[in-house]
Amino acid sequence: MIDVKNLYKNFGKTQVLKAVSTTVKESEKVVIIGPSGSGKSTLLRCMNLLEEPTYGEIWVDDKLITPVDPYLHRDIIALSNTYARMMAEAGDSDEVIAKIKKDDLLKRFEGAAYAKAIKKCRKENFLDINLVRRRIGMVFQHFNLFNNKTVLDNLTIAPVTLKLKSKAEAEEHAYALLKRIGLEDKAKVYPSTLSGGQKQRIAIVRALAMTPEYMLFDEPTSALDPEMVGEVLELMKELAESGMTMVIVTHEMGFAREVGTRVLFMADGQIAEEGTPSQIFGNPQTPRLQEFLSKVL
Amino acid sequence: MFEDLVTILSSPTYMGYIWQGFGTTLAVTLIAVLIGLVLGFIVAIVKIAALNNKWMKIPAFICNIYTTVIRGTPVALQLFLMVFSILAFPGFKPYAAILTFGINSGAYVSENIRAGIMSVDKGQMEAGRSLGIPWTHTMVKIIFPQAIKNVIPAIGNEMISLLKETSIIGWVGSTVGTLTFDLNAAAGQIALGLGGAYLAPSIIVGCFYLVVVYAMVLIVKFVEGRLRKSDRR
Repeated sequence: MIDVKNLYKNFGKTQVLKAVSTTVKESEKVVIIGPSGSGKSTLLRCMNLLEEPTYGEIWVDDKLITPVDPYLHRDIIALSNTYARMMAEAGDSDEVIAKIKKDDLLKRFEGAAYAKAIKKCRKENFLDINLVRRRIGMVFQHFNLFNNKTVLDNLTIAPVTLKLKSKAEAEEHAYALLKRIGLEDKAKVYPSTLSGGQKQRIAIVRALAMTPEYMLFDEPTSALDPEMVGEVLELMKELAESGMTMVIVTHEMGFAREVGTRVLFMADGQIAEEGTPSQIFGNPQTPRLQEFLSKVL
Repeated sequence: MFEDLVTILSSPTYMGYIWQGFGTTLAVTLIAVLIGLVLGFIVAIVKIAALNNKWMKIPAFICNIYTTVIRGTPVALQLFLMVFSILAFPGFKPYAAILTFGINSGAYVSENIRAGIMSVDKGQMEAGRSLGIPWTHTMVKIIFPQAIKNVIPAIGNEMISLLKETSIIGWVGSTVGTLTFDLNAAAGQIALGLGGAYLAPSIIVGCFYLVVVYAMVLIVKFVEGRLRKSDRR
């Protein structure tokens, strides 16, 4: 389960994500759609912390991977000096916390008890990001295969470097994966000799070589020639049928409708509408989504 | 002038000077290049690491001062400072001079290497990190091999200019037989013997420099060819 709580992301002064909350459950296929610049990729990249959120928390299997966000924990705010001072003036706990949150007053030194509580909360729930990333595979728009490694090494480098498998075991697994996508004859070549579709399929099995529990797809077909989109979508479909938990940012509406179990429509850094594919594509509620669909369908 | 050339080439004393100077120049350059590479590599890594690690900010600041000062002042000044003031120990002169060239070269090399690392697609690091491989491992196994390939020509360039920069080593004093008696000093010594005819010895010495530079070019080409394996289609 990937739990995104009240996520904010600022790039300088521009707010890319504003208070995004969602939960990706076991074997769900969440498809994120939306116009460009709406924060879909940023949300996805926050899920394995390639992008560090400004506020908010991300929990993976009940373990925190981001710093503790005090605004999500009233007990911690209650320990701060600001809270004590404002409580002495006003008196209503809910009101004071709301005001602290609204004006973002927890930036300065807030006292030892507060700092200790934050530290304790993080220590109890925190998980090293490298351990989390082993379980979350990611596929990029531009493939990002390691150019200085052969296809086989691309597949084995992570398990071997992290000492999860011996070289022989990793290679055996890699050959099995390559066979699954019908590219075992490409094991010894460098990525520069491959077509876009082949590169992307290898990027997918490279992530699978770590036997992840989740897969994140960041516009996996956007950089492909049209005739190669099909083979990549086919592999993703196969993966979906095998029960993998997937989060997919895509512009392929047909694929979203067919494979997705839940569709998030993002606009201006927020989840504007959310529902099953038939709800989203068949019966869009917000004018923003209606306008978007009329343009892409 | 031709007579001078013949005189020099047929005189064992003069040729002895040149060979001795040649040895000094080669040795000084070689050691300085090694110091420069190691230093430049460390400085580049510190600067890159500082981009996403707050503990490296202070070392990176120091590295920035180093590159600014070294690249911003003449190497002659650095040489005099090192030899006559900072490292003015008895008998340490040639080593102080070599160290100066190494430190000087390191500043330039560091920027070359940094540029090489930055030129590798950001996605390579992201892909490595997304698989759970730590930053250091991704750097060593994925980024460096690709970066090195890109910086080899620039490093070759730096080696060549360093070779010729070492010709000022004689300025801190070079009598025949000392470790600071390089090719350029040999030319000066011969010119002295020929009554001030600088041109002929300079041309001969120039030929020696040219040969070394050409050898360096060939080595760089060979190394580059080996490293470009993964680019072939």
